[in-house]
Order: sequence, then C-alpha cells, then structure tokens
Amino acid sequence: MKKRDWFLIGGAIYLVFIVAFAAFGPAVRQVQLYPLAKIVDPAITQFDVVREAVSKKPFQPPGTGEAFLGTDELSRDVVARLAQGARVSLLVGLVVQGIALVVGVLMGVLGVFGPKWLRQPIMRFTDGMFAFPDILLAILIVAVVGLGILPVIAALAVTSWPSIARLVSTQVATLKDREYVVAAKAAGAPTGYLVIKHILPQLSGLLLAYSMIELAGTILAESTLSFLGIGVQEPDPSWGNMINTARINMNSHPVMLIWPCLFLSATIFALNFVGDGLRAYFDPKS
Amino acid sequence: MLHYRSVQLARALVTRLFFGVLSLLFISFVTFMADEIAPGDAATVLSGEKASLETVERLRRQMGLDRPWPIRYVEFVGHSARGDFGKSLYGIKEDVGVILARNLPMTLFIATCAISIASLIGITLGTFAGVYQNKLPDRFILVVSTLGVTLPNFVLAPLLVFFLANKQGLFDLFYQTWEVNRKDPDFYYLFLPIVVLSARPTALITRLTRASMVDTLQQEFIRTAIAKGVPRFRLYTVHALRNAILPVVTAIGTTFGFLLTGSFVVETFFRLPGLGSTTIDAIKKGDMPVVQACVMLTGALFIFLNLVVDFLLPILDPRIRESQV
Repeated sequence: MKKRDWFLIGGAIYLVFIVAFAAFGPAVRQVQLYPLAKIVDPAITQFDVVREAVSKKPFQPPGTGEAFLGTDELSRDVVARLAQGARVSLLVGLVVQGIALVVGVLMGVLGVFGPKWLRQPIMRFTDGMFAFPDILLAILIVAVVGLGILPVIAALAVTSWPSIARLVSTQVATLKDREYVVAAKAAGAPTGYLVIKHILPQLSGLLLAYSMIELAGTILAESTLSFLGIGVQEPDPSWGNMINTARINMNSHPVMLIWPCLFLSATIFALNFVGDGLRAYFDPKS
Repeated sequence: MLHYRSVQLARALVTRLFFGVLSLLFISFVTFMADEIAPGDAATVLSGEKASLETVERLRRQMGLDRPWPIRYVEFVGHSARGDFGKSLYGIKEDVGVILARNLPMTLFIATCAISIASLIGITLGTFAGVYQNKLPDRFILVVSTLGVTLPNFVLAPLLVFFLANKQGLFDLFYQTWEVNRKDPDFYYLFLPIVVLSARPTALITRLTRASMVDTLQQEFIRTAIAKGVPRFRLYTVHALRNAILPVVTAIGTTFGFLLTGSFVVETFFRLPGLGSTTIDAIKKGDMPVVQACVMLTGALFIFLNLVVDFLLPILDPRIRESQV
C-alpha cells in the first residue's frame, strides 16, 4: 500500500466520524443536557440546548459534570456547539457544492455542446467569474442579502460553480473526440444521450474527487465569513464564529480556541487527503 | 522581423488592457447593482427610522435617486473614475475617498511585505526542494507547505499569538500607533500580522517553484549543461531557475492580488486599520457607499496586478515575446 492510500483511509475514517458527529451529536447532547439546562432556565425547550446556558457559571473547565469539554463564555456546552457547528459547516458545504455541481456541469457541457451563439458567452462569463475575487463577490452578496446562513449559501454558491464549469468543459472537450464517443455519434446517438450516457459517467469519479477538494474550500470560506462576523450569526454556532468568540477571550481562556480550530483544520485536511487520493485513482494523468 | 513582432506584442498587450478596463466596468456594474437590489437606499438610511414617507421621498428626489438606474449608473462610473465615491451614510458622514485614503496604506504595506517575504522564502525553499527531489529536505518542505496551504489564517493567527505573544511575550499584539505615528510605522506591531498573511503565499509559491523546477530539471538543455560541466550552483540558479521562474511570477502576481483583496481575516484579527477591516465594518453597519468603494478599489487593484503580470512576462521570457499573437 502506498503512503497516499493511508492518508486516504485516515481521511475517510475521520470524515465518517465527523458526519456521524454532525448528524447525531446535537440530538444526543440535547437529551443529555436538557435536565441541566432546565435548572438554569426552567422555560427552556429541548431544541434550545445548543444555544442556551447549561450551567450557572461560564467557562467551566473540561470534565465538569455533563459538559466534558467544559462550557463557553455564556455557559453553553462546547460539545453540543461543536456538533451543531459541524452540522452547519457540512450542510452549507454540501448544499453549496450540490448547487455548484449542477450549475457547473450544466455550464461546462453547454460551453462545449450548447448552441453556437451560447458557447462563447458562457465560456467568457465563466472566465469573467474567475477574474472577480471570490471573497469580494461573497461580501457584496452578504451586503445585499443580509447576514445569516442563507446569504452565506447564496454567496458561496455563486462563487464556486466556475471552477467546476471549467473542469467539466475541458474534460468534455477532450472526451467528445474519443473514439467510442465518435462511434456512438456515428451510430446516430443524439447529443443529449451522448453526454448523459457516454461522457458524464466517465467524468463522475474525477468530479467526485474534485468536489471533495472544493468542499474543503467552501467549508473554509463559510468559517471565514462566520469568523469575520458576516456569516452564521450568534447564538447559532459555527466553527468560524466559535473561533472568533474564543479569540476575544483568548487571554483568559485560551483552551476555548483548541476545539473549533482542531475540528476545522482536521476536516479541511481530511477532505483534501480524500480528494487527492480519489483524484489519483480517477485521473488518468497522475 | 523584430519590428513586426513588437507590433504584435503591443497589440496583444493593448487587448489585455482593454479586457482589464472591461472587467473594471463589470465590477462597477455588479457593485452598483448590489446597491440597487439591496432593500432600502441611501435616502431611507439618511432620513432615519422615524421619518415619514414624504420626507424620504423628498430626500430621494433631492439626491437624484428617483431617476432611472442607467442614468445613475453612468453617473456612478463617472464619479468613481474621478475618485468620488460619495459620503459615508454613518458617523460624521465622512467622504468615502478620505476613508479609503486613510486605510489603503496599511493594506498595501502588509500585503507588499507579505508577498516579498513569501517570494523570497518560497522561491528559495522551492528551488531547494526541486533540486533535492524526493530526498529528505524535499519531503520535509512538501509536508510543511501542504500544512501551510490548508491551514486557515484564523487558526494560524491565534496559535502564533498564543505561543509567541502571550507565552513568550515576544510581540505586542495590537497595533495602536498607526494613527498617531503615520510617518514612521512601527514594524514591531506588524510582525505577526505579516507572518500570518505570508504563510499561505509562501506555501503556494514553494510548491509551485518546486513543481516547476522538477519539470525544468528534466529537460534536455539541463543535461547538456551538466555534460558541459557547468558548476552545480550556477546550473541550478542561472540555468534552471531562470527558466522555472516564469509560472512562479504569474502566481506571485495573482497571489499578491488575492492578498490585497483577502487580508480581511488578518486585519480583523489584529485590529489593523486597513481596507479589509473597513469593508467588514461597513457591511455590518450597512454602509453601502463604503462597501461599494472598497470592493471597487480592491477589484481594481486585483485587475491592475494581473495586467502588470501580463506586461512583465514578455520582458522576462523571450519565447512569449516572440510567440504572442
């Protein structure tokens, strides 16, 4: 086994863990912490546990009672918030990449197979999107739409499709001259059938690998926006805004920085490892 | 014929220039439209929350906001081209141009420092790694640069601050004297921000230089040079690096552009008065003229840097000089 494979396997195991953590973590913590939170605030509902205090004192050290990673500046449970943050990050990342994949594949295919008058404008538009710095566009969109999770998704979706479109169009342009495609075309296959049956299946592996790496970029961008305070807003947790609040209290409670930083970096590393590993399998060039 | 070629080159560069201006217009259009689409306009903000509809309408007419948008767009472009971005909607309603002029130097300064450091270290390490391909130094440099590319700025910054500034007490954290002491900026405060800002570019440039060196070292003219008995150091620097550096120059240009547009995190984290932190503050307040001006300015800088690279490449590489159509 090559070293790259170990990275791939390690990354994949971590990703399974983080997905499970995001999927079940918040619910499990809700059940576990509800009795505690109820002592602090009797009116609390179970779904508010992530956002509300679970103890009477902030910055409980790790290992106190139920809060085994301690509590934050508003006495909220760190584990619950990390899990909810994972959920936010993965959800935003997956939705954005889903949109980017659909739009990118559509644009990439249209740029090669579309009607003649449409091809050039699409390619130029895609290039133009590259010329515009991502973060600026995202910031403009946030400035227009407002703050919160939906604007972040919108902003990141708008900026992340061009790279997929470029990948698809270059790949499709080379694939369409392959002999089996030409043969199918000669046999009378319509263009739509060609693309869906013969070309896109060839691309799917590479696209999967590529969108893993893009997903890492999207998660990073989401946390960046949240860190800057123009993404996911308190009291909703996200790794980005957890790092931001932690660095405000950095001098007195540096421990708070560790977990969100660790989760964010590990997730980005894992996605890159898995993406690179998959690309090595699917990309004929490497 | 040299003359013919230089005409061709000039034509190619003029085309680039034209596309640069076009991109600038595109950015101005997008920023203008952003304000159009956004709910509420300058009149609603300026007249305050309690103003009656008539007051808002009167102010709108006074400011000329009731005219159709194409007219206002042309006006917007004209004013921006002359550096007149209007007035801030909040605070003392300062001229946006003044705000930009106050905050741009910091961003330019840290970005220039960061890209210089990144180029210097990146090219050196990259060349080193390329020469010792697949040996221990190369592996080490590769791992560190992979870390550098993927580690977010806002994870790196607290780490450095915690260990260097808090634990060791080596650095003071937040820059306070820029306002008072603009003539002689205190580099001491800016050390950590510049280090954080240069981390990612350094890693990127290292990786790129390495890849380019590995590519170049496999080419035949290198084998010829070795056979000819060129000394190793001269071989690597003059023969190989001179050829390998071209894609790196392009990357340095675009990375510099991204540093100018992307110093948001570092400026916010270290509370530096720069373009990035100004933009973020303006967004949080909903100060549209400032946001627009910041976006346009950073966009313009970005395009300008790409143009500089386009003009620089033919100077550095005779092959581009001759092949450009």
